[in-house]
Amino acid sequence: MRNVNVRKLVKTIVFTLICLIVAAIILFPIIWMLPAAFKNKAEIWAIPNEWLPKVFYTKNFEKIFTSNLVNDYNFISSIGSTFLVSVIAVVLSLLVNMFAAYVFANFEFRGKNFLWYYFLITMFIPGITILLTSIRVVSVLQMTDTLLVLIIPGLVSAYNIFFFRQFYYGIPRSLEEAAIIDGCSRFKIFFKVFLPMSVTPMVIIGVSVFMGYWNSFMWPTLTIVNNSEIAQVMQVIRILNSTYSGEYGIVIAATILSIIIPLTLFIIFQKKIIAGIAVSGLK
Amino acid sequence: MEYTFDEYQVVNKKRHNRFKYRGSKTAYLMLLPAFVLLSVFVILPLVLAVVRSFQDYNTGAWVGFKNYNYLFTLDKLYLKSFLNALIMTAIISALLLIFSFLFACVLRAMNNKFGKVVKVLIYVPFFISGIIASVIFNLIFNYGGGLITSICVLLDKDPISFTSTTPLAYIAIIAPTLWLGFGYNTLVMYAGLINIPEDYYNAANVDGANSFQKMIYITIPNMKNYTVLLVINMVTAYMQMMEIPMMMTGGAPLDTTLTPVLYLFNSFRDPSRPDNVTIAGAIILMLLIMAVNIVVFKTLRTKRSEDA
Repeated sequence: MRNVNVRKLVKTIVFTLICLIVAAIILFPIIWMLPAAFKNKAEIWAIPNEWLPKVFYTKNFEKIFTSNLVNDYNFISSIGSTFLVSVIAVVLSLLVNMFAAYVFANFEFRGKNFLWYYFLITMFIPGITILLTSIRVVSVLQMTDTLLVLIIPGLVSAYNIFFFRQFYYGIPRSLEEAAIIDGCSRFKIFFKVFLPMSVTPMVIIGVSVFMGYWNSFMWPTLTIVNNSEIAQVMQVIRILNSTYSGEYGIVIAATILSIIIPLTLFIIFQKKIIAGIAVSGLK
Repeated sequence: MEYTFDEYQVVNKKRHNRFKYRGSKTAYLMLLPAFVLLSVFVILPLVLAVVRSFQDYNTGAWVGFKNYNYLFTLDKLYLKSFLNALIMTAIISALLLIFSFLFACVLRAMNNKFGKVVKVLIYVPFFISGIIASVIFNLIFNYGGGLITSICVLLDKDPISFTSTTPLAYIAIIAPTLWLGFGYNTLVMYAGLINIPEDYYNAANVDGANSFQKMIYITIPNMKNYTVLLVINMVTAYMQMMEIPMMMTGGAPLDTTLTPVLYLFNSFRDPSRPDNVTIAGAIILMLLIMAVNIVVFKTLRTKRSEDA
């Protein structure tokens, strides 16, 4: 009996150690980066490099908050415009995708099968294949260099519709039948019954949509060319990266500022997000 | 009014349909926004892309498979980028599957508060973009004063340039990619592991199976579905890798880390490279990704029906 206990204890210790090491490896790059935002030009690429700065240098942040850094690109305003775009996109995207999912889960209508496959096939079209022709389409629609081009083309996602539909299948049919008998319109049923019940999937999908917009780089770079006022965060960080390769502390400071909002979201919703992986992993 | 039997059937069917299709109008109305957006911003560009891949870029004349032919015979750069992406995708996917499976097994055994905290911690990089990850890893890999160079100097060795040879450049791309994907893959694997019924293991214990046998005969076969889904995700994502190669190596050395999407990004507005050829290349990439998806979905479906 004691033998079993000892083995169990050894196992726990070994596994705890493995966990600690893996967590340390994963967190190391972030921890290594943080003090670099307070290093000056001389220290950031010093050989040998030290983790903490010798001189606590706050000019990097000052410069980011007070000046334009590169041409007309202002980092702080890019955070603002990216946040605006992401929030609007989350609201619209949830609404549009949930509508579609609700219809596919609860309605019978002519052409349903065809439409379902029409939607589903878009899941397999990689962004790169339609990139050049999408740019053509938005320029014909005169959306280039406006907020619209950032928000609208990415709103619908067949995967998100699929996810919500699976969720709606789990809501008992009788609930809707009862509401119909009570004289509710289907629209009203959606807002009064289905919407309040789908808070969890809304959080999971909402956060992933937000992250998709917040982190998007290629689409804004190719479509926001002559309007630096609404340039997006990743776009500006890439420009900073190629301009300030010497004064790299500025790039690091911008990077830290850019992960504050996503990280806050993650901390608030981490329970739901982690629980959601078990569901979303299954598709 | 009297109906004959046949007429009655028709009327009845109509009545039935009217009931079945009640609310059709609402259905079409609620589907409309998604349908329009999808048609304009996905289906239409796809149709245009297919059309343009068979046209001459300047004249718009139909040229058959000339653009595709160009890819395989004249400008080998795109084909090369394609192969680079294939190699990197294979390496990254294999490493991620192994690491995340093993660590998920550890997490399952660590069924306590500490394990929960670790799960949250390893998921943090999932919220970081390829651009940000590259900025962070540049502090480690940079030749002119990064962490590794510092360590080399302290050890009296020559610093390593991660863009000088191909294997080293691969490391500079693969490390941040693994870092970004590890948490998500591990948590999906973990979800799969805790879904395996405990009874299977109890039965194996009664039969006197050791841990290795349990792993080979119970755990791994039951993880098939999860593994397959992760492979789909990874192939789709890593064949389209672009931000990290652009920031870490820029395709160097000698275009051995150039990826198809980076090629497309670089050739955008570059008059010396015909657009329609790159579109043709992107369509080949789509066909490859679709093929992988369809094959995998088919195997999944047959598996499920066996279970039921």
